[in-house]
Amino acid sequence: MAASYLLDEREDDGTNGGYHVMVTVEERPRPHATPTGQSRPSMATPSGDQVDNKSDTSKSRRFVRGFRKALRKNQDYTRIIGSKSSVPQLPSEWWKTGIAFIWAGFNLVLTTVMITIVHERVPDKSVSPPLPDKFFDYVPRMEWAFSITEVNGMILVALWFIQWLCLKHRAIVGRRFFFLQGMLYLYRMVTMYITTLPVPSMHMDCAPKLYGDSQGKIKRVLQLVSGGGLSITGSHLMCGDFLYSGHTVMLTLTFLFIQEYSPRSWPWCCYHLICWLLSFVGVVCILMAHEHYSVDVVVAYFITSNLFYWYHTMANNQDLRGSPHNYLNRTWWSLAFNFLEKNVKTPVPCTFAWPLSLPSVCFKNPCESYSIVQSARDE
Amino acid sequence: MKEVRLWTASDVSDWLTDEGLQEYTDAFQDVDGPALLRLSEEDFKASPLSLVTGDSGRHLLERIKTLLLTSHMKAHKNNNNNENGHTVIALANGSVSNGKIHNGIPKNGLHPEPVRILIPQPPEQERTPYPTEWFKTGVAFLYALFCFLTTTVVISVVHERVPPKEESPPLPDKFFDLFDRVEWAFSICEINGMLLVGLWFMQWLLLKHRSIIGRRFFFIVGTLYLYRCMTMYVTTLPVPGMHFKCSPKIFGDWEAQSRRVMKMMAGGGLSITGSHSLCGDYLYSGHTVMLTLTYLFIKEYSPRRFWWYPWICWCLSAVGIFCILLAHDHYTIDVLLAYFITTRLFWWYHTMANQQALKEISTGNLFSRVWWFYPFQYFESNVRGIVPRNYQLPFLFRTVTCTRVKYSKLDSRES
Repeated sequence: MAASYLLDEREDDGTNGGYHVMVTVEERPRPHATPTGQSRPSMATPSGDQVDNKSDTSKSRRFVRGFRKALRKNQDYTRIIGSKSSVPQLPSEWWKTGIAFIWAGFNLVLTTVMITIVHERVPDKSVSPPLPDKFFDYVPRMEWAFSITEVNGMILVALWFIQWLCLKHRAIVGRRFFFLQGMLYLYRMVTMYITTLPVPSMHMDCAPKLYGDSQGKIKRVLQLVSGGGLSITGSHLMCGDFLYSGHTVMLTLTFLFIQEYSPRSWPWCCYHLICWLLSFVGVVCILMAHEHYSVDVVVAYFITSNLFYWYHTMANNQDLRGSPHNYLNRTWWSLAFNFLEKNVKTPVPCTFAWPLSLPSVCFKNPCESYSIVQSARDE
Repeated sequence: MKEVRLWTASDVSDWLTDEGLQEYTDAFQDVDGPALLRLSEEDFKASPLSLVTGDSGRHLLERIKTLLLTSHMKAHKNNNNNENGHTVIALANGSVSNGKIHNGIPKNGLHPEPVRILIPQPPEQERTPYPTEWFKTGVAFLYALFCFLTTTVVISVVHERVPPKEESPPLPDKFFDLFDRVEWAFSICEINGMLLVGLWFMQWLLLKHRSIIGRRFFFIVGTLYLYRCMTMYVTTLPVPGMHFKCSPKIFGDWEAQSRRVMKMMAGGGLSITGSHSLCGDYLYSGHTVMLTLTYLFIKEYSPRRFWWYPWICWCLSAVGIFCILLAHDHYTIDVLLAYFITTRLFWWYHTMANQQALKEISTGNLFSRVWWFYPFQYFESNVRGIVPRNYQLPFLFRTVTCTRVKYSKLDSRES
């Protein structure tokens, strides 16, 4: 009863514009506990109590008002301090990027070794002719097509590299790129090894087999790594690495990363379109050159896009990480994911920064950003 | 109960005690029915009433209002029952003067009538977070059927293009190098597959939300077979072993081909039923898809109490897959790819279905870029939340059992 009385009185007080005090002022004990023993206190009392009531409530009224005044003096606005503001949301952690880079490099080297091994097992063209392929039935071979693929691939990788250099959170994005690339090459290693497909076309000249010649094999590995696995550089002489296509992986992955980490506004749409065209034309040219089976390209595209979307959805949705109904972390690499992305609390925003630190006044941020908030946060 | 305006002061005092408002009895000693009805807030501001009331009489006024309503209803009802009207009032009159109230039991012995409030029933999708929507399950079933049919047609087409064993020998495969062929292994695989499908079917029948879960199963199975069509069609792998006996090729004979397709659909594509004599459907393995998918669904929707049940199914599934390879009936890459695609699609679908945030198109939700996002939204838009693992006997069995609890008082009142 006392509490309700105070509440009513507070709402009537309009001097401070309805400022409500959520304090425990109301817990003062009532000096008159009615000893009537009835279920409804303070009702069946004579008039003497009423007088005491009035003096009591006026005292409490004065007390509350005084307290309120004291609070009001010190506050113009209310600062709410979130507990997370002291922890950086997107820490760089270059050492994790380094680990991811080593992982990618390790897988690349292993893949090269695997190609060398598989090369020994590829059946000869005369023994095992090329498999029937629907695309090859419709489109005859064009010799120059594969160079287009490789040129497109190199352009895309260069574009991505430049874009990556200009990103603000390049440590995090670079980490993701290296991790995914390493994973894709690991999967590729497994699929290449377990079943060996014959050469897709009679034009392919495979290097002679080196049965047991380890030194020769090592030299081949080094040659392949130094040439980046490209035919243009003359390093790709070995056969057997057909399922699935590494060229498709690179074309698709670079395009996906370029698209994801650049703004979506109008002039950038043209950039995305150009990159998409480069990627698409490159993939089609692989098939036109009869360098891979269609199934190699299809499977490579599927696995690359699947892995990319999976990883980024896990990374962008914080609430998925702790949820027991999150099936995404049933993959075998979820522990590695947790390690890499543990301290990344929000989706990586699209912000650019010069690789060398210049004062931020010098450049205009092309991404749509809330500049006032951004600058306030950076201070 | 007689009308309030006919009440005397003692009636009023009895009523006050009835309602637990004894504190007013002294002040209301001279108040009779009409005076009670005339009470208003102003009366409580002046003395003597202001002395006894704690809340300016609000509580009492509310009770008076309720009293007025019930007495109006009574009067209305009594007017409708003309034949009983007078008798009832007479009875009420008779009992009023004699009865005294004890512990709130109404003195006139009449229970207040229940009031029927008609609430328009909201559509099913608002009533429950897991609406059944059997229509959508039907659509999913048709989709799965269509995909099965397409797969069978594609197998028939691909069969024509498989290079003969002599021309194109089996490809080198690591597993085949390590393990020699075991002839009876493929029957084990198919028996396991049939067991798993049977178990899953029975489990599905016992689930409460079987329409939603059935929809998911059909959609995922259909999509997996659709993907399989594509990979089978674009590149044709040679037979994995020289033991294969492929049916002769029927070039261009559509009638014979369609008969072949029917035979395969009827037999479910299994070798045991003799319907699987066509070659070329290697990448990727449909047997692995069924073994893996039924196991995933069984595990997902089985009660946690019977932990041994998913484990048994896992063993069945693993042994089945191993036997496929042991029988040299598929390349290792076929099995691996099938396992990868099945698990990824299952987990992807269920993560999207369980998170409300992933059901909407947004920049943070990359899963919405997948080609089947719109069918997914169609199927799962009204399912709000994670489908619980509840079990319920199917409809036919439910009517037979007598385990329904009856709430007799409510039931009898409704009649």
